[in-house]
Amino acid sequence: MFENGHTQRIDVPRCHVNIAFNGSDKTRIIYMTVAISSKHFIMFGSSGSRVLNVINISYIQSRSKRVWVRKPLGSPMAKSKIFRITPKPVLPEDEKAEIKRLFDNYKNSMKSIRHYFFEQSLKQAESGEVAQMKHRLEDQEHERLMEENRLENEKTAMLREERLKIQAEKTQQNVLASLIKKEGEAKLHEIQIEDFLTKQMSTPFIQAENIEKAIEDALANPVNFNFALDLNGYVYRGKDTSIDTIPEEKRERLNSN
Amino acid sequence: MIIMASALPTFTKIAKVIRLNRHGCTNRPFYHIVVQKTKDNQDGPVIEQVGSFDAMPNNKNEKLVALNFERIQYWLSQGAKLSDPVAQLLGLSGFLPNHPRTIIQAWKNRREPPRERKIEAIKGIAPPLDNPKL
Repeated sequence: MFENGHTQRIDVPRCHVNIAFNGSDKTRIIYMTVAISSKHFIMFGSSGSRVLNVINISYIQSRSKRVWVRKPLGSPMAKSKIFRITPKPVLPEDEKAEIKRLFDNYKNSMKSIRHYFFEQSLKQAESGEVAQMKHRLEDQEHERLMEENRLENEKTAMLREERLKIQAEKTQQNVLASLIKKEGEAKLHEIQIEDFLTKQMSTPFIQAENIEKAIEDALANPVNFNFALDLNGYVYRGKDTSIDTIPEEKRERLNSN
Repeated sequence: MIIMASALPTFTKIAKVIRLNRHGCTNRPFYHIVVQKTKDNQDGPVIEQVGSFDAMPNNKNEKLVALNFERIQYWLSQGAKLSDPVAQLLGLSGFLPNHPRTIIQAWKNRREPPRERKIEAIKGIAPPLDNPKL
């Protein structure tokens, strides 16, 4: 069916096949590109036998499309196009209105259809097996975690109760001790107050009755605070006492009170 | 070599489109209705093929269109856009509402007189062509 040295083109409905056979028995290179519309079926053949003679290989032309490139921006306008004024397509108003109405309705319907499809897909996903299994697993996990949490809470509750008990005991003891201390202090304080009062009372206050007597006593016994000191440490009391008047034996020694 | 779209990693979100890919030969177009990323070329990597459209009428004067409605519905739910021709085909098939373009083209065709034809119109199941645009 296929002769050597041929490139044969076969037109199969809705696909095209290029088969190139080449050369002698030693070099048989088969290259096929097949694209069939209904499936993604892409086939590449490769040479079965070893490539010994390189002479007989023919290069298969690539059939890639020429890529469209726009005209370079700096290039001038073509001479045939410089004075061209394209006729503006004029549509009557009612036609424009009708077109607008059609498009608006279409876009509206398309939006709602898309939204509907999306919702359907979500529903399908939810109802599917995978989603259900996921839900089940999630629920199990949730239960397990809640159980764990409960146990943990119980443990900590126990510990907390013990701790609180101990604390309560301690606080009780503290409070008692402090109360006792306060009582003792209060008593001490009272005693101190009494002592102070008695001391104060015992000191000779000048009452209303004693004023005259006190005045007379004060006038009768004037206290002279003046004194002088010697370098040897002797005191000479009184303002007007001179050193010569007091004999040596009766000199006072200064006491640092 | 034809590259599978799933083999190329993309990290940014590129929109997907359902559009016509021109296959076939010179002066004999044949379109695959295909889901692709917008950025890819027409002959570039394809995510899924979802139908076909033969633009040349056959000997019974039919233009054959194949559409996988389930998959189209899936891709529309995933946010794929439609190109105009594909939208028109879907409208004519009844899956979607009729595209405004079909209606506009129809009334324009009715208005214009038929033009001179060199080739005879094919007689078959479909009614004869007395309209220049069809």
